[in-house]
Amino acid sequence: MMKSYIWLQNDDGSIQQVEQEVAKLCPIICQEIHTGVGSSKQNPISLPPQVNPAMLSLILDYCQFHQVPGRSNKERKSFDEKFIRMDTKRLCELTSAADSLQLKPLVDLTSRALARMIEGKTPEEIRETFHLPDDLTEEEKLEPLKNMTDDPRIRVLNRLYARKRKELKERDKLKNVEIEEERVDDRSVDDLLSFINGGKGDSKGVKTSKSKKKNRRRKDQQKNASSNCIPISDYDCSSNNAIEVHTKDSKGLNSVCHVGKIHNDVGEMLKLQDVEDESFAPEDEFDDSDDIDDGIDPAMKEKIDREVEDFARRLNSDWPERMQEILSLGQQRRPVSTATVPQGDVQKIAFIYRKIHVSVSSDSAACRILD
Amino acid sequence: MDNVLVRDSISDLPESIIETILTKLPIRDAVRTSILSTKWRYKWANLTHLVFDGKCGTLCNDKGPVEDNLVKFITRLLFLHDGPIHNFSLSSAYLQSSPDIDQWLLFLSRKDIKELVLELGEGDLALTIRAPNLKYLCLEGEFKDICLENTPLLVSISVAMYMTDDIAERFEQSSSCNFTKFLGGVPFLERLIGHIYFTKYLSIGNQLGKPPITYGHLQIVELYQVSFEDMKEILVVLRLIVNSPSLEELQISGSSNTSAATEASDLDFGGKECPTDCTFGLLKTVKMTDMSGVPHEMEFIKFLLGNSPVLKIMSVTPSVYGTDARINMLIELLRFRRASPDAEITFIQD
Repeated sequence: MMKSYIWLQNDDGSIQQVEQEVAKLCPIICQEIHTGVGSSKQNPISLPPQVNPAMLSLILDYCQFHQVPGRSNKERKSFDEKFIRMDTKRLCELTSAADSLQLKPLVDLTSRALARMIEGKTPEEIRETFHLPDDLTEEEKLEPLKNMTDDPRIRVLNRLYARKRKELKERDKLKNVEIEEERVDDRSVDDLLSFINGGKGDSKGVKTSKSKKKNRRRKDQQKNASSNCIPISDYDCSSNNAIEVHTKDSKGLNSVCHVGKIHNDVGEMLKLQDVEDESFAPEDEFDDSDDIDDGIDPAMKEKIDREVEDFARRLNSDWPERMQEILSLGQQRRPVSTATVPQGDVQKIAFIYRKIHVSVSSDSAACRILD
Repeated sequence: MDNVLVRDSISDLPESIIETILTKLPIRDAVRTSILSTKWRYKWANLTHLVFDGKCGTLCNDKGPVEDNLVKFITRLLFLHDGPIHNFSLSSAYLQSSPDIDQWLLFLSRKDIKELVLELGEGDLALTIRAPNLKYLCLEGEFKDICLENTPLLVSISVAMYMTDDIAERFEQSSSCNFTKFLGGVPFLERLIGHIYFTKYLSIGNQLGKPPITYGHLQIVELYQVSFEDMKEILVVLRLIVNSPSLEELQISGSSNTSAATEASDLDFGGKECPTDCTFGLLKTVKMTDMSGVPHEMEFIKFLLGNSPVLKIMSVTPSVYGTDARINMLIELLRFRRASPDAEITFIQD
């Protein structure tokens, strides 16, 4: 039987002859054939620029195999698996070429292969595979809203960075007057704002939450005059978050004695912290509470504010004693009013305590938890 | 030296390809690409197809944190998203009724949502969907109420509605007509699939006269777990099919409490709900499954056979329980008058 051929012209000008049945798998080529192009050497089909001769040869191999009707699914799949074994550069080129010819099955195949190279890998591994430049600043990488990574190493890194940033801020604060203090705040927030603005046009929602953060910070800092101001206010906001969760779920617990309530709050917050994938210092949790705040009515908000103040005051006054209490309670596994503090939470409480204060009442359990 | 020559070939691929690649990743991996390089920072934010499933949450036995974690993740992601969202799929057994779901739906309605899939767990969710561009809707979970307020372009609906007994009781007292609330504003509907308590849900409320619209494009109806001893449920089915002139394929699965059903009153098909001259002009395939052979079921089959002039296949599958009734079913089926000379009645035994 006579096979019909069509003529294709590459972007480098070279012309080649290809079996029509094979080439017709590509919709673009099919369209061209229908308009009469490609039937002779003088009138070849011009291929899109993404299709160089090497890619064309690969694509034709693919089409050659798949246009044969009798093949089983198993055969086709195993051909596909072998076909895509090539380096990433060629894979990308092939994807681009197949896309320009609208050969959807091949685009799907190569995209899946590329996705497999990304899935489950750490950012460094991905950068290495695809030769991506590592050109984000550390701060950009740590931007909590955008960085939702599971990698434990990055989490530790983020915590160290957060601690470092806190230390620097504290140092600056102690050096300067109150006016300067406010400026430090502005700088960090404006930094983020301008970064976000400088990127793409970000949603307004993100901006508003950041400016709210500014105001909140100032208010809380004015309340707590001690030098441990920043950590406590951060902690407040995190516990704010916890209290929200708390009151949403279990209204009954309001009548419980204070000690139990604190334990629950802290437990809740810490559960949130630890379970979350995102890398956070408590101050970063702030953004969440602002976003969530928008859904809470003013009465509830006031109640939460009062509770936060109360909590902050109590923290400032008798934290070391309370800490001992918590630790000893936890280890004895004695129920505290209506709530028990699980062993895990006790350890987490100790970890936070250590984070906030330089010195720690050295309990062996507390020391062990830091990862 | 080597590094200078080795180029980054993936970052500059066309946006459609990047989207194809990112869509093939679990959503967390897709979002994580934002820290790869400056070019990748916002690539994920243009995804139009968002899928949140069990792989999103962290493994944890405690339901509370997992739910909070997931809610936070989705909310934050939606805030950062840029551009339209055409497909949104959420499957989570952990997510109970949450005010966040309403907010997400509101957000999605402004993002040109075309396909929505919500598969939730237990909960008491009252859902209102206003999405002017929505075409495909798939819901599963325990809903107190579902109202399609502004969904004029819906083409395909699939609902699996779980219900606890006390919710069912609460329904009885409701005065609004669920049929109208749900199916009142979907004139372009082509496909309707309902599971579990869906038909019962539709049957609640005052149903007076004809439904507000004719379902001129409705071609496929599949209703499962229809209790034939409940007259109201049968009326829902009738109301639907009688007002769907383009109906081609019908599948009804029964769930009859046989003792109650055999004592049920006679079904009057000549009543207000369906005029006696009603014809299913395009109905070609009917599948009745889980049939117990109770009078209402047989009456219904007889009604379909007698009013479907182009019917090709009527297949009846008996329920696995009550094998005694099968002979009687067969005897009755033989007798029924068929409007279509080509109609084949098949009785499927396994």
